[in-house]
Amino acid sequence: MAIPISQMWTVSTYVLKKKLAGNKQYPLVLMLEPLFRCNLACAGCGKVQYPPHILKKQLTPEECFAAIDECGAPMVSIPGGEPLLHPQIVEIVNGLIARKKYIYLCTNALELKRRLPEFTPSKYLTFSVHLDGQREHHDFSVCREGGYDIAVEGIKEAVKRGFRVTTNATFFDGADPNSVRAFFDEVMGMGVEGIVLSPGYSYEKAPDQNRFLGRARVRRLFRAILSNRKPTWKFNMSPLFLEFLMGDRSYECIPWGMPAYSIFGWQKPCYLLQEGYAESYKELLETTKWAEYGAASGNPKCANCMVSCGYEAPAVIDGFGTLKGFFAMVKGNFSKYRDAHALRLLDEPAPHGPATLVQIAAPDHSFEESNA
Amino acid sequence: MTAEVAKYTMAQVEALELAPGAQQEQLEGWVPELASDEDLRQALEKAFDYRGDVTLTLKSGERIEAFVFNCKTGPTLAESFLQYFTPNDSEKRKVSYADIARVEFSGKDRAAGKHWEDWVKKYNEKKAAGEKNIALVPEALE
Repeated sequence: MAIPISQMWTVSTYVLKKKLAGNKQYPLVLMLEPLFRCNLACAGCGKVQYPPHILKKQLTPEECFAAIDECGAPMVSIPGGEPLLHPQIVEIVNGLIARKKYIYLCTNALELKRRLPEFTPSKYLTFSVHLDGQREHHDFSVCREGGYDIAVEGIKEAVKRGFRVTTNATFFDGADPNSVRAFFDEVMGMGVEGIVLSPGYSYEKAPDQNRFLGRARVRRLFRAILSNRKPTWKFNMSPLFLEFLMGDRSYECIPWGMPAYSIFGWQKPCYLLQEGYAESYKELLETTKWAEYGAASGNPKCANCMVSCGYEAPAVIDGFGTLKGFFAMVKGNFSKYRDAHALRLLDEPAPHGPATLVQIAAPDHSFEESNA
Repeated sequence: MTAEVAKYTMAQVEALELAPGAQQEQLEGWVPELASDEDLRQALEKAFDYRGDVTLTLKSGERIEAFVFNCKTGPTLAESFLQYFTPNDSEKRKVSYADIARVEFSGKDRAAGKHWEDWVKKYNEKKAAGEKNIALVPEALE
């Protein structure tokens, strides 16, 4: 695991304190969306479909600090929109660092190189750069030729300046596992601390609704990608969550573990679904009907979700809150996950070329057998 | 989630190959008839889901251009309300369902015409024409 010991210590003591206090619902990561404005127009994005007057609005630094002070999470992820378009993002980041919060600033990196001199390297600050795969895959995914090269330039400059940097990839139906594994080689070669990855989620408000992976296909894809790991690959995620993606573990969604806060308030029930907003984290906890969400609830909106905002928090709590989970986590850090079946999956034909990078027509049944 | 929504069993969830995705209605330009309280509730729930501005006409005659981002429903219209932003104000506003006389889906649907297939088609056309640096760009904010 690529996560520094100080961060693991902070999170593990936080989880243990909550457990000892008998606290059943608490946040691990605040998903802080200071704005929805973006400098990309990705066709699959479900986050930025708003009228201009909404895209021009943004949280003030004080609103950001009030949100983290109220919920008390030890980590803050700053997605968006593109956070580097926020004119006060440096002030927001510095205020969070002053509070000793571990920050993942999620960026497409189009502005990263230009804005880096405004930031100071810190163990609390990580630039999590959105890269959806190798050059051609990433550019097609974000609907911008040349986007990959700009992002890589930003990554290299950030690494050179001593910042913590991870890459952050989302994979949709049609992703080629061999290309993803080659992509892991490429990004580790750039000197990043680790890789973050996720299956795509079927945002109800996304313009496109045809290419989201179901659970069986997620498990098969991630088993092909994450088995037989190379020693150079590091993941900035819980090993238990990666095992969940591979189909080796079951977790129940705990959306309150990674609550989302934006200009609208505290999002119900999670970062992905928009079923209303609460004025405070307390109100979010008290008024959301949690039993109606998560795959186990049977809610069709949650059926395909295996995303970190619902399922990484239980993996982290399992890893730091139980002895069995802790030993599994340690073992996961050193395992190569050797798997002959997964090797055979890599030999299956995969789509190639920009026009077929994603599957937009009939489902491909070539991977019919599930390994989970 | 309402009680009548079909639920998946865990076995069905685990076997899903592709997520079904949501059905999106074409609401832009729609002015629903509000003959009953139930009509009003349904229209306002759609306004909450809509990815553009709506125009609300209140019983007082006031017209409000609004992006509706929240709805909290209670047992009566008077106890149910919408939260919204207007284009020229940074403050969140609130209005009771009971005060609303008319709803128009007047603003542009911000997701319309942005399907993945549209991007693939545009990309292939531009590539065939020999264009470089092909990209979709965000809409202007003015």
